[in-house]
Amino acid sequence: MSDSKITQIERDTLATMSSTSRLYWAGLAGSVILVAIGGWAWSLALRQGLGVLGLNEPVMWGALITTFVFFIGVSHSGTLVSAILYFTRSPLRAAIGRSAEAMTVITILTAGLYPIIHIGRSWLFFFVLAYPNQRQLWPNFRSPLTWDVFAISSYVTVSGLFLYMGMLPDLALLSRRITGWRRPLYRVLSLGFSGTDAEWTLFEKAYPIFAAVVVPLAVSVHSVVSWDFAMSVMPGWHSAIFAPYFVAGAIFSGIAMAILLLSGLRRGYRLEGHIKPAHFDLMAKLLLAMSLVMTFVYLTEFFMAFFRGNAAEIEVFRWRATGSYAWVFWLVMFCNGVAPLACFWRRVRRSLPALIVISVLVSVGMWFERFLFIVTTLAHSYNPANWGHYIPTWPELLICLGGFGWFLMLFLIFVKVFPSMSVAETMQHEHALSLPATGDEAEVTHA
Amino acid sequence: MPDDLVAVFSDPDAAAAALRQLGAASIHGVRVISPAPYPAVHLTGQPGPWRYLGSIALVGGLTGLAAATALQVVTSRSLNIIVGGKPIVAWPAFGVVMFELTMLFAGIFNFSALVLLSAVARRKVPAAARRLADSERIVVLVPAARLRGGAEATVRAALKHAVEVRS
Repeated sequence: MSDSKITQIERDTLATMSSTSRLYWAGLAGSVILVAIGGWAWSLALRQGLGVLGLNEPVMWGALITTFVFFIGVSHSGTLVSAILYFTRSPLRAAIGRSAEAMTVITILTAGLYPIIHIGRSWLFFFVLAYPNQRQLWPNFRSPLTWDVFAISSYVTVSGLFLYMGMLPDLALLSRRITGWRRPLYRVLSLGFSGTDAEWTLFEKAYPIFAAVVVPLAVSVHSVVSWDFAMSVMPGWHSAIFAPYFVAGAIFSGIAMAILLLSGLRRGYRLEGHIKPAHFDLMAKLLLAMSLVMTFVYLTEFFMAFFRGNAAEIEVFRWRATGSYAWVFWLVMFCNGVAPLACFWRRVRRSLPALIVISVLVSVGMWFERFLFIVTTLAHSYNPANWGHYIPTWPELLICLGGFGWFLMLFLIFVKVFPSMSVAETMQHEHALSLPATGDEAEVTHA
Repeated sequence: MPDDLVAVFSDPDAAAAALRQLGAASIHGVRVISPAPYPAVHLTGQPGPWRYLGSIALVGGLTGLAAATALQVVTSRSLNIIVGGKPIVAWPAFGVVMFELTMLFAGIFNFSALVLLSAVARRKVPAAARRLADSERIVVLVPAARLRGGAEATVRAALKHAVEVRS
């Protein structure tokens, strides 16, 4: 592999850090504005109370918890996909692994805001943590909400470390390459990694162990979030299928978000040489497969409800499809079940504009899917006298919108400060491609 | 480093070829510093204390399991309130946090082990040689003090494609 090729790889993989386009500034400015608007709406809730949020009997969980579940779902697939790509030795990983891992950490940080906002007196959020206190009050470990705190805290810590561990070789490289205020930052963050053979051996042995820890943790975190609902006795929630249903939905929405982020990076930083149509093709196939799984789950839910014969359960599912939220139901069916079917066609899978449209539809569909099952169960539960209707208020919607701005802002800052693609892995991958197809050298062992 | 031959390669394949030649000539103790895990880094016999990594992660997982068990049992007994008809010490319910903390601690221990063992391992390579490596430069260190007879000529021949050789 020639010097010029290595220089080219380095230039490409560090493109997001070295150049700043107008599109980048526009995206950053737009996201900061959304964050400011969302922050102002939150301050309204803090100053005037939760009454401004439209949450009331019987719908106590609304748009905020919907957004929480949505972002947890998106977070789910980044690290999971990256770890699976690592184990399968997929060439996709060098191109999309880093962005997917960053997406996980950022979305989980975003998701974590919503329960804190939802509790109203947000400054008392630490009451859910297990810490020694003078009144001997401890969290109830038999509650799924406490499990949630532990699952999400563990997941964000492990995902963050997974992202950081993968970046160590790149940070070491950057500490030599970059000048200015960032140089000491990278030197400290690289933890002294210098690329000796012993360090690479340790790295290559430690990384799969960490990936093996990450995969079950990623599956568990969304299962635990599903148990927030499924461990109750509410119709439409109390179902054994909820954990795999949530995990599948999480992977589905995460892939859609990854397609959107990667297409933005590819277009904005001219990374066509690294993020190729074949990569999008593979992601589109995965999106299609998960869409079919989701359709199967939706049908199974209905089948189970009607076969079981529980009147309350039947009524909730009938109401979902025909009641006042029917438009949400059919929107979800179209976005999650019908639109992705276009990926059966190779031309669609290879067309970035088409994939962007499908991914946007899937993201919208998955947000509304969470909204649908949360709100309809609460609004139409066992007691007809207590049935109600919930419409999010505008401060609620602005807080949700602020979350999307927060997510985008953190991601844009991340790609400016850290490489959005793994430099070491890309160099290794390109080197392996430059070798003859046979021989020991051709074997790709991932960093 | 005063006792080492330091060869700087710009081509990962040339570095790998040199290491193969050195291996064939039974020159031992050769070290490599590389910006990416090219084949060259796999040709020095996997040096470093990596065998401890799995055990350390296991110890971490067991620590997390013990911590989660102690936290839940002790604090639930301390609060001593029955909620939702569940027993004070409800093992099925506690299983979730036990699993989460097992994985969390296994991950943290694994990462910490990587950082600490890497720090130990890199001390065996002179800092001056480590500083020479860059994205376009792979450094091969040959322990010159161990070379006897015609071995030095063999080493020089193996390193002929290096862009720079220092002694």
